[in-house]
Amino acid sequence: MATIHEVMSDTPTRDDRDRTNGVTGPEQTLPEDSSADQVGAETPVRRYTDEQKYVVFNKEFMPHIDSMYNFAFRLTMDEDDANDLVQDTYLKAFRFISSFEQGTNAKAWLFRILKNSFINDYRKKSKEPAKVDYQDVETTYNSEDAETEHTVDLRAESVSDLIGDEVATALNSLPVDFRTVIILCDIEGFTYEEMAKILDIPIGTVRSRLHRARNLLKDKLRDYAASMGYKEESDE
Amino acid sequence: MQTSSPSSSVQGLQQEFDQILSEPATENLKMDCTHKNDCLKMIQAILDGSSTEEQIQKLRNNLHTCQPCIKMYKLEKEIKELLSGKMEKKCCPDQLVASIKARILQFS
Repeated sequence: MATIHEVMSDTPTRDDRDRTNGVTGPEQTLPEDSSADQVGAETPVRRYTDEQKYVVFNKEFMPHIDSMYNFAFRLTMDEDDANDLVQDTYLKAFRFISSFEQGTNAKAWLFRILKNSFINDYRKKSKEPAKVDYQDVETTYNSEDAETEHTVDLRAESVSDLIGDEVATALNSLPVDFRTVIILCDIEGFTYEEMAKILDIPIGTVRSRLHRARNLLKDKLRDYAASMGYKEESDE
Repeated sequence: MQTSSPSSSVQGLQQEFDQILSEPATENLKMDCTHKNDCLKMIQAILDGSSTEEQIQKLRNNLHTCQPCIKMYKLEKEIKELLSGKMEKKCCPDQLVASIKARILQFS
């Protein structure tokens, strides 16, 4: 796993440039991965004093750190990687704080940076076993069979006794893009609109990806429920 | 359309839907249908707080009359509760919080 220094070393530090050049031009370019891009992207760049930066950082960013850590851990499934990812994200958030407008959705803004950092810096080296290519999965589930009728036959009563670890294992077995939408929606409670901004995809894609992710999850949960001896009975 | 903070309105809806489900079902309950997948997407949007008023009204009706919708609603709700309630939520280690704050201070 890369140390935080390795991760940071290839990223130019905006603050350094700001100080040497004095004023930043209106083009205020985003980093190449655009990970610090404003959620929504329609907000003009803010100028904060150093003091204001710390106030924004502590009042608007730090309160989300547990959610951010949980998200990082669920993505990487590794505590060291989650540490690096969260630290990297918060440092980026501070350096690009001028593209954050106070009072707007800080949590969505931070989650978007974390998601982009994960894709750019971590996913390649991810320890994920049995890596499934997302495109393959999406294609499979987009096929006609899947679209015409794929409802998993499972009863609410069959899964209600599953314990947290079993649910986590089922979730972890999903390809990361499917896992991500479930985490954002069901664990963090983001709306489809917020998820669309965090993931840079249209709302329709959020909806269909969630639908497919949940079908996959239900398949896994059904296997667990079956292994515990629950039987799927036909409707009474 | 989309609501920005859905959790409270979703809770209210769930209470209303649970009330409907606790009442005796109608005699001519529909036992199967050909568009379960569409209804499932609708149910998910409602539980996710990202549905339209028409979708809510449709589910309100279907919970009185349609067995597949009743079953899917119960399952989707159960799975959401499993994910939000039973899975461990990892907290950020104090050491990491301290480390981030220390590094931020070096920036200016």
